[in-house]
Amino acid sequence: MTAYDYLSLLQGAAVTVSLSLVGIIIGVPLGLVLALARWSEVPALARAVAAYVSVLRATPLVTLALLVFFALPNVGVPIDPVPAAIVSITMNTAAFNCEIWRAALNDFPRTQLDAATAVGMTPGLAFRRIVFPQIWRISLPGLVNEMTLLIKSSPAIAVVGIVDITRAAVRIGAQTYEPLPPFLTATALYFLVVLGFVRAQRSIEVHLDRKFGFA
Amino acid sequence: MPSHPARATADTAAHPSPLSGASERPVLEVDGIWKKFGDHDVLVDVSLSVRRGQTVCILGPSGSGKSTLLRCVNWLERPDHGHIYLSGQRIGFRQKSELPMSQAELAPIRARIGMVFQHFNLWPHLTVLGNLIEAPIFVQRRPREEVIAEAEALLEKIDLREKRDVYPARLSGGQKQRVAIARALAMRPSVLLFDEATSALDPELMGEVLVVMEELAKDGMTMVVVTHEMGFARDAADEIVFLDRGRVVEVSPPDKFFDVPKTERARQFLQRYGSSLRTGLRDVRASEARQ
Repeated sequence: MTAYDYLSLLQGAAVTVSLSLVGIIIGVPLGLVLALARWSEVPALARAVAAYVSVLRATPLVTLALLVFFALPNVGVPIDPVPAAIVSITMNTAAFNCEIWRAALNDFPRTQLDAATAVGMTPGLAFRRIVFPQIWRISLPGLVNEMTLLIKSSPAIAVVGIVDITRAAVRIGAQTYEPLPPFLTATALYFLVVLGFVRAQRSIEVHLDRKFGFA
Repeated sequence: MPSHPARATADTAAHPSPLSGASERPVLEVDGIWKKFGDHDVLVDVSLSVRRGQTVCILGPSGSGKSTLLRCVNWLERPDHGHIYLSGQRIGFRQKSELPMSQAELAPIRARIGMVFQHFNLWPHLTVLGNLIEAPIFVQRRPREEVIAEAEALLEKIDLREKRDVYPARLSGGQKQRVAIARALAMRPSVLLFDEATSALDPELMGEVLVVMEELAKDGMTMVVVTHEMGFARDAADEIVFLDRGRVVEVSPPDKFFDVPKTERARQFLQRYGSSLRTGLRDVRASEARQ
């Protein structure tokens, strides 16, 4: 493996991390919005979200990426590989994040909401001041777990022509006929990326514990 | 059934004069409330009125609708029929159009009604002080410094100043309920509702809460108290409302109610629950004096 090969693997890592990050930054709040839509008990809305989640949970990311990239132009929406990758990653992770947020919302004690309503909080204010500060701490481990799953399923987006870590490793292996070094490097890179996310989660939890006495 | 002179003038007298003395409009009027859960009649034509500074205790067997009645007052539960007025203002419906109020319209009315719950319902992610100042700052939008100063004075009053920066998880049940009372008071409410505020407490922790409640009653706070503590009701109430199977069966001053109940239902009830008369505030006082 040449220096150039290592560089291209690092480039692949940058692509994996940045696409995953964009998916997380959009997908985590989007999941919350979906979960709130189900929590709101507006029947039509709740059912639409439930349907979305069950379809998306059943669709492999590869299939979804292909669907978005090849099917959208068919209905008159041309889409480039990078936006197609972001859309499919976000749609996928939002469905799983929705379920994580929903579990936290379902477990949220009604009694605390009663207290918030009784002091004159509107539902929006009660959510911002009472519900959200508590459910995000509960949801954090589940959300980070979903983030690591997302990173590891991200090689699927290579099918629309994006060169991520795995794709770069395949290319190098095919050129050098020595697949071991590039795949070992790729494995190490995934490990470092996921470690980074888990470390971030730990430090947030420690910070919360120190500040609030519970996490 | 109490008479309701207020009914006729309900929609016209939105702002009674504060100087009108005895003829002053009651702070809280509940007028013919009905509530059903499924097929079950929880409240049937319930009326009561609470004048400023009065403490009204609502007594009755379990399942008689006491808690539902309180939750209807601040619209946590929507009554099926009937009217509720807070200082002459109809709760739940707009004054002219009679359309139901939105949550945003209900909120400022609820902010004037303090509520203390059986299970305290403190917010665990906020400190004791945080619980007290949350609503005055974010609902009433009062200046932070003023709110904090007032909250500290309240903590002083309930003898929990040293718990200011502690989270609720570190408090005893009695301390939690005193904080919950202070949280309600921090809103400067016109009326305070107590929903079985001592039922979840061990007997030895009940006293400290009952003492705070009795002091509030003495200080002239307007209170509606759902309780099973007959001793408290006898000592602190100005009026007893006895509820049975969702109906107001008897409204009497406490001495009349406990000594010569008018109805057979009340007599039966007192026979069953009367034993807690002996463990009333007097015993609490005595045990505090010993400490």
